[in-house]
Amino acid sequence: MKSIQFPYSVALRLKPMPPVFYLLLVLMLAAPGPVRSQEEVITSYRHFREREYSTGYYEDYEVRPLKQAPVAIPGVRIGTFPYSPSAAEVRIRTRLADSHRGIKFYELQQCKDCHPRNALNNHTVRANITCRQCHGGEPIASINHYFSPMNPIRRHAYICSKCHQGANVSFASYVIHEPFPADVGTLEEFPVLFAAFWFMVAIAVGTFLVFLPHTALWGVRELLTKKKGGAGGS
Amino acid sequence: MDHKSRIRILRFSPVQRLFHILLVISFLVQSATGVGRMFIETGFGRLLCYIFGGYGMARVVHIYVGIFMILGFGVHAVYLMFKVDWRRFPGSLFSEDSIVPRPSDIKGFFSHMQWMFGRRSFPPFDRWGFWEKFDYWAVFWGMVIIGSTGLIMAFPVQSSRYIPGWFLNVAFWIHRIEAILAMGHVFIIHFFIAHLRRHNFPMDRAMFEGSVSIESARHERAAWIQRLEKEGRLRTLMVEDAHPIRRAVYYVVGYSAMFIGLFLLFGGLLNSPDITW
Repeated sequence: MKSIQFPYSVALRLKPMPPVFYLLLVLMLAAPGPVRSQEEVITSYRHFREREYSTGYYEDYEVRPLKQAPVAIPGVRIGTFPYSPSAAEVRIRTRLADSHRGIKFYELQQCKDCHPRNALNNHTVRANITCRQCHGGEPIASINHYFSPMNPIRRHAYICSKCHQGANVSFASYVIHEPFPADVGTLEEFPVLFAAFWFMVAIAVGTFLVFLPHTALWGVRELLTKKKGGAGGS
Repeated sequence: MDHKSRIRILRFSPVQRLFHILLVISFLVQSATGVGRMFIETGFGRLLCYIFGGYGMARVVHIYVGIFMILGFGVHAVYLMFKVDWRRFPGSLFSEDSIVPRPSDIKGFFSHMQWMFGRRSFPPFDRWGFWEKFDYWAVFWGMVIIGSTGLIMAFPVQSSRYIPGWFLNVAFWIHRIEAILAMGHVFIIHFFIAHLRRHNFPMDRAMFEGSVSIESARHERAAWIQRLEKEGRLRTLMVEDAHPIRRAVYYVVGYSAMFIGLFLLFGGLLNSPDITW
């Protein structure tokens, strides 16, 4: 039987290692598990995810918005194709640093010329708050631009809390530019509002449908009846 | 006619009348401040808010009176616990003296309708007519719905810690529609039944004075009077009519409430096309 000749390199590796090597191996087993960054271990912040959601910061670094809003907002659809192809322009405009880039005669126009429905909200109509008090000066960044103050990730801190002290992410999910709840489109945009509106309207209309005719008939009937119980009320 | 000559029968205790007058006052304040804020874009709304010190103060008044109403509702719930006849408990809830709806109330509604069309005599109602039971429970559940949504909106930052902030949109509309329903029901149906129909005209003083005239009750609540006579309790419930000055006060209070309500109702209806819905 012929003896097998190992290649030279293999024979070299099989040479016994110095005792220090085995000592290091044992020490390595006793050491803590691997970590990505020592920064996390020394920081004073504990709930990273919550802090990231609510401030838009991870440690000292501003982070990109997460794909999923921390509070699910009805009507804000997240998907591969949330808009129709014809609305592709709009889709792109929601991520611009200057949302009105390239619009002709932009400086001659007022917000409500192009956004008439958006001017009709309780903040504007009742509290006399102008568009710019929330949306800011020129250039107005798109809502979903990474570093826009209106980005849902930091809207509560940069916009809402200017007046509503202590506003949090959940608070900022209030829909300022609320769709009219009775509209069919609201069923898709804000289904809870649509359902609540029509449920309440059904209760109100149902009540009046029963009691208005009942009351009217009662009044007529008593006019035709000889009064019992004397005059001057009961 | 001397005021002592009229014989009247007790319907409401002083505590019940106190609950009612507190509800009248707070309901009218809430209506005026709420309608004022809702119609702030019109002169009608600005006038209403001006009375309470402007748009911002109307909100403050609305919130404080709202909290007062919620507290009153809590006190009323405790009061109910004392009024329930616990010895005959489940059965007592559905007795003739209870305001809890019974199947016979549905029957009462239909026989009442038959009477209106002249197909039968006036139905013998017991202590509570079905319309009165409806009024009571409508207010009861209305307080729960309006009170809870109102609290959510009064403290939006705090409440959005526990519920999503977009529920404020929903709460606003629930609050608004329930308020329109409540005001519509009180200012049209309740006022008509209590003041303007011929049987009660010019006003049913029962909720202020606590008593109704016996002839009137014999006609409108025949079953109740019959039951009291059979049990021999009719005599114990008899009272004299109130002093004419007190009666005058009741009329003034009742008619003030009615005119405030009608002002809000017609102002709201006429101005409703001019506001942002």
